[in-house]
Amino acid sequence: MPALPEYKTRVLLENHGVPLAPASFHDVMPTVLPEPVVFLKAQIPGATSRAGKGLVRRASTPDEISYGLKELLAEKNCLGVLAAEAVNIIKEYYAACLLDFGDEENLPGGVLLFSPEGGTGIEGRTESLLKIHFSLLNPPSALDIGNELPDVPNVFALADFLQKMISTFIGYKLTVLETNPIAVLADGSHVAIDCRAEFEKSGVSKKNAHLFKVPVNAVDDSTPLEKMVETINAADPAGTGFFRASRQKAPEGTIAVATNLCGGGGKMLWEMATGGRKDIFTINESDTSGGLSAFKSYRILRAIMSQPEAQVLILTGSGMAFQNQYHLASAVWKALRESATPLPCLLRFGGTDQEKAMELMNTVAENLPVRVITFRPEIFPNAMVEHLSEIATDKRISQIFTPEQGELAFEVETPPARFIYHPEKNPNGKEPAFIKECPTGFLQWVDGRLIPNPDARCIGCLVCETISLLEGNGELTIELDLPEEVR
Amino acid sequence: MAGILKYLCGIDTPKVLVFGITGRQGKSRSRLMKGFGTEIVAGTTPGKGGQEVDGVPVYNNAAEAVSAHPEINSAVFFVPAGAIAKAAFDAMDAGISFLVLTADGVATQDSIKIKEKAYETGAMCLGPNTVGMLDTEGYLFGLIGGKASWAKKNYLPGKVGVISRSGGLSQLLAAFHCRPDLPGPRSDGSFGSLWGKNYPGLSAVLCVGGDPVPGITLLDAARAFEADPRTEVMAIYAETGTTQENDLARAIESGEIKKPVVVFLGGKFTEAGVAQSHAGAMIRNENETYQAKKKALEKAGAVVVDRPDSVFAATAEFLK
Repeated sequence: MPALPEYKTRVLLENHGVPLAPASFHDVMPTVLPEPVVFLKAQIPGATSRAGKGLVRRASTPDEISYGLKELLAEKNCLGVLAAEAVNIIKEYYAACLLDFGDEENLPGGVLLFSPEGGTGIEGRTESLLKIHFSLLNPPSALDIGNELPDVPNVFALADFLQKMISTFIGYKLTVLETNPIAVLADGSHVAIDCRAEFEKSGVSKKNAHLFKVPVNAVDDSTPLEKMVETINAADPAGTGFFRASRQKAPEGTIAVATNLCGGGGKMLWEMATGGRKDIFTINESDTSGGLSAFKSYRILRAIMSQPEAQVLILTGSGMAFQNQYHLASAVWKALRESATPLPCLLRFGGTDQEKAMELMNTVAENLPVRVITFRPEIFPNAMVEHLSEIATDKRISQIFTPEQGELAFEVETPPARFIYHPEKNPNGKEPAFIKECPTGFLQWVDGRLIPNPDARCIGCLVCETISLLEGNGELTIELDLPEEVR
Repeated sequence: MAGILKYLCGIDTPKVLVFGITGRQGKSRSRLMKGFGTEIVAGTTPGKGGQEVDGVPVYNNAAEAVSAHPEINSAVFFVPAGAIAKAAFDAMDAGISFLVLTADGVATQDSIKIKEKAYETGAMCLGPNTVGMLDTEGYLFGLIGGKASWAKKNYLPGKVGVISRSGGLSQLLAAFHCRPDLPGPRSDGSFGSLWGKNYPGLSAVLCVGGDPVPGITLLDAARAFEADPRTEVMAIYAETGTTQENDLARAIESGEIKKPVVVFLGGKFTEAGVAQSHAGAMIRNENETYQAKKKALEKAGAVVVDRPDSVFAATAEFLK
């Protein structure tokens, strides 16, 4: 789960009235230094055991503050420094809110963990923590919490603090919220000294997005190809388009397999078929599913095929996809025609129009630059892998694809594409065959011109281009933008 | 004969309200559902009350729809993940007792709140992150089949109840039990047609979804199939993460589930703590591993296979 650094978590707690030890945040060297004594805490996403790494320092003179700030701000991935005023702590407690997923016996909800002994060594004594389960729908009052707490001084003030923590946890749909420690001050009041939060991206509302924004470059280990797929997804967000490259090199003697797996079930089948194999190395994970367009399938296939170390591509879902398989096959064919480095493929089609998908690939197979083997859904990945060594290549083919010049008939924004018409390939001006094959009636032929139907929409299926090439004269081509690196 | 919903939540004939019916997904999926035989009574989209979609009246909210059509007893949701909790509460407050939540990417806190609300109101929710359910009595919720003609061709009445944590494998396990001459590895080690022309067929398929806090669990679904007289054997896709398989194993062991259960268990090579395509498949403790679940299920008497194509031979054995 993504984690928020302390200075960001403090804002969430403050918004729900949780008292905090006074502190100031500095992302650049301040002109006016904080008053000593302060604790300088480097704000580095994902950093743990900060004190042991010198990322938390006590500074009791202006010189120490100045020096400490300068050094910590120069730390790698440091987003800034929190200068927390030193406070006189009488006692320390530990508290955290987590999610409880429930089971057959227990409803899910939240759970409040509390220790009157503070947070030192908390990992080793989780069993002894007080656990208060609570409803997210009807959260407990401070009185409810107070009645569950052990006998500590000023117990209902502490309960009020914890209730506000729960309110923060629920209000921002967090997955973890920890205050470690909660300090009891000389006047009996409670303040959060240190805190952290974890969250799900899906739990962040638009209204609160600014509170969860952390400069990604500080922690982002994405590869250039992963960033490209993110760009593709941003331009065409419908459906899943997940891609992750392996961080390891394929060991010597293994077959380096690029994968286009469709859905979580497809991924699991692939893992079950190859997880125990020492001769097969998966160089990327991918998941294209959830009603994505063929335009997007094409773009992600191009990214997958651009991996230089890949020897073969396997495309399979669970075997009964929601994506129309003819549309997917059109995307595969286009990617193989246009990729600079097409890969030999094992393709398993299962789902609506699977027969048409197989027929398409069989029809075009002879003219493809690489070998392709198609499989029916009854053949599972555990059998498909036996064909890998048969078609995997040590010598990648390279080809140059130059789009034919034509007239821009129109552009579509969602999913994004340019429809290029080539009038010289239809000298008689007759209605091209692809018009009738458009599944939504989006493409119209009016007075010898290709125009979009304003009452219909393009679903990005690529059927028009496929039919134009197979049954027509190539009168229509679709241009789909790609990041420069995979063109 | 009553469909699986009678045994899941007491509904003989579903009368459906479609949330988000005016959107692209809502429109196309409603056509699929109607084409398969589902009775869609009304739709709802905030601010679009008074419109019609393919002859189905649209209301602003569930209360208005139920007031105009008191026979509504179930709902399906084609609304974005961020709006799902509010919409589900709207349906449950209106007295709707079976909800199918298709959205992927629902915040876990929202899933938990929905489950808490369902417990309070007595409603049952399939999902989130589900492709829905299909009953060969002639109704479906969600997107199983993709097209009505495809769904009618692939899902045929019979004896197998399918439960799955994966959308694609819901479709696959259900459809393949309806294929004459399905090839596959036989129990004697040979490979070939598993059942000739006499395919076992399907009673119903329920996709419980891939999230960490599902509404209806594998065990809830198994209880319904246990009570369903059409179902003679259950075929289940299970995986790592959550306690669903462990709960199911206990119910088999205690005799609560007596019908044969065949489980294709995924996640043999899944590492603990690593996020998965299905958010619910992430292993959080040792009880959620492949090994722990396999051991528990086998000890209870379920047949556990680690190849998807072995499921069919195993179910066929029970139907001999």
